[in-house]
Amino acid sequence: MIYVLYGIVAVICVYTARHYWFTLNRLFGFQRHPYIDIDTADWPPVTVLVAAHNEEKVIANALSALMSVKYPADKMLVVPVNDRSTDRTREIIDEFVARFPGRIRPFHRVEGKGGKAAALKDAMELVDTEVILIFDADYIPGAGLIKQLTAPFFDPEVGGVMGRVVPMNCGTNILTRLLDLERSGGYQVDQQARMNLRLVPQHGGTVAGVRLSALREIGGWNDETLTEDTDLTYRLLLHGWKTVYQNRSECYEEVPETWQVRIKQIMRWAKGHNQAMVAYGLHLLFGKHRATPRERLDGALLLGVYIMAPFTMLGWILALAVFYQGIAPLHGIIAILAVTAYAAVGNMAAFFEIAAAVRLDGNCKRIRLLPFLIMGFTVSIFSVSRAAFSQVKDALTGAEFHWDKTERFRKAES
Amino acid sequence: MNPYLAVAGLVAASAAMFMLPLIPALVEFKRHQDDQPLKVIQEHAGEIRFFSDGFRNYINPLQAVLQECFASGGNAKGMLADGAEYLVLGRGEDALTLPLRQQDETCSLMLATNADLVLPADTTFSRDIYAGGGFIGGMENKYRAILGEKDVQLGHGSKVMRWVHAVGAFRAEECCDLYGRVSSDSSIRLRAGCTFLRLNAPRIEAGSSEQTAAANTRRAREAPTPSQSPRRLQDGDFVIGPDEEFTGDLVVRGKLRVGEGARVWGSVKSEKEMTIEDAVLVGGSLISATTARIGANCAIYGPVIAERELEIQAGTSCGSPEHPTTVSAPRIRIEEGVVVFGTLWAREKGQVVDRI
Repeated sequence: MIYVLYGIVAVICVYTARHYWFTLNRLFGFQRHPYIDIDTADWPPVTVLVAAHNEEKVIANALSALMSVKYPADKMLVVPVNDRSTDRTREIIDEFVARFPGRIRPFHRVEGKGGKAAALKDAMELVDTEVILIFDADYIPGAGLIKQLTAPFFDPEVGGVMGRVVPMNCGTNILTRLLDLERSGGYQVDQQARMNLRLVPQHGGTVAGVRLSALREIGGWNDETLTEDTDLTYRLLLHGWKTVYQNRSECYEEVPETWQVRIKQIMRWAKGHNQAMVAYGLHLLFGKHRATPRERLDGALLLGVYIMAPFTMLGWILALAVFYQGIAPLHGIIAILAVTAYAAVGNMAAFFEIAAAVRLDGNCKRIRLLPFLIMGFTVSIFSVSRAAFSQVKDALTGAEFHWDKTERFRKAES
Repeated sequence: MNPYLAVAGLVAASAAMFMLPLIPALVEFKRHQDDQPLKVIQEHAGEIRFFSDGFRNYINPLQAVLQECFASGGNAKGMLADGAEYLVLGRGEDALTLPLRQQDETCSLMLATNADLVLPADTTFSRDIYAGGGFIGGMENKYRAILGEKDVQLGHGSKVMRWVHAVGAFRAEECCDLYGRVSSDSSIRLRAGCTFLRLNAPRIEAGSSEQTAAANTRRAREAPTPSQSPRRLQDGDFVIGPDEEFTGDLVVRGKLRVGEGARVWGSVKSEKEMTIEDAVLVGGSLISATTARIGANCAIYGPVIAERELEIQAGTSCGSPEHPTTVSAPRIRIEEGVVVFGTLWAREKGQVVDRI
């Protein structure tokens, strides 16, 4: 038992070091934004896929914004992927098609497998451009975003691109404010540091792009996964394509406003991520492919982020068990260091990362909410652990997964 | 002491200690002092002309005065709504004779004219300048910003701190430092010794017209052919031999050397140093994760990006009049004789030199 506890503490120490490495790199290291200066070019034709399943509250905002972006109109086709919506989504899309003839080609899907990946897979029949950009329906792209997300594809090594997501409803309640802090840490520090260090920036599946030839090479969208973005990241990596992160390509999104919706969302992310871990983890670390050694290591650690929650819980239980069994849990100075790392530094690293991110964003006062993040982390740890356990149960019973759409909170445009 | 009281006191003290770090959080949670979304620029795409367009709108209220002075040949002094003092000149050459300079050789008035503007040398112009006609600046001047509706010419050793936009051609004589954005709707010409950060024009030329003739004539002779072949991913270093033809996109994980006279019909990327020898043609983009050195008389049709340093030798052209492009790196050195169609952007420092 004690050795399992040692193992868990050791892994937590690795993740702690990783958090610090990323944060310090972001604060003091060389910042890579190689493609952001491409403002003049012979812009290639692009297809913008907008995934929409019952999005009557938000789809009009997304389409309006896309019709106003600064990209040659004759080179940009918007394809709203209306996935079996039962609300007014189809009607709203068709209104836009009539208002902007030739610029929007809708894909109305009325049957088929559930999930975003399955819908995108079916919509590929309308795509013939080398550059594909993907947005969820609750995103509102700014004027320059399409050019910014397209620019990295001038690099023949780039297979995927990911922009930054910024919550627009962050002031609604304590949950949205905490999610705003988490997003800052995740993008401003985590993703950008991975970009700086030439590690594995993660494709987020929205505010993102993929190269058609790369997508074809890796076998297209995988509709067997709950998180097609994580799956895409790793398949691109294994085939020698880079995913790049553009921190300055920012786009507003709506974050969950209720804990119930948040829990569902993070459980889906955790399950999808764990699927990718099982599918690609060992091959990534030890297989024969084109990823560099540092990409192998970082990619494996990234795959493990969601499984760390049940590990942490197990660590707590083991620590208590060891204590009540009267076993002298740890020995000497190494033991003290390990316990300190586990109990203090390990927890603090993520806070340090978020604090640094918020500071880099220039937001001074919201940093005060940092102690409340314990609440968010606790909910996440239990939700993600629950997701992992239910995933194991599903695997044993052969139950099929189902895809939960994230509920929207914006008021529909009249 | 009553033990119950002691326990209660201990619990209260512990609770207070626990609550202490939460007090700022509770205050922020209650007062919502910083709960607005992060500012994301939705309306514009970082266009180089953003400031000059803004300035044009800013001085719009002066249009009547500008026309009146231009018609009468007189001058007018006044104050804009934000308190900025301006001097409108009826005849641009008056700037040479008027006592514009204070004792520290600074002109702190905003100058505007609808005529051709000619400015004296060795002067610091600390406010923006508007020239409805041509603009000719004296030597060793310092400017904050200039908007010229026709040609703009800066004298030897001048400095621009923020931006210049010329509707006509822009020309900077030797040893000018252009710290901000410089744009033209027609062309930009920089002479040796000039430094720059961000330039944009249909045609950007380093050196005299004789020096850039090779790059310009070469452009007319050859046109890019898009590549349809799959990309090639190469571990380690790679060489494309002299006069060889390579079709398709190429990604090299090591160093890349493209030999003299080679033709690459696709885009090229190297993870380490990239060396492009003389008279090479690249039909697509050229990306280096470290440094790139481009020899003389090359033609690159797509964007050119180097993550550390970029050098381009005389006679080379990037982009074409029909297909403008971007050349970008933190540090750029270009020889006189280089032509870029589109954007030339050095994040840290760009230099025009006689010879690399």
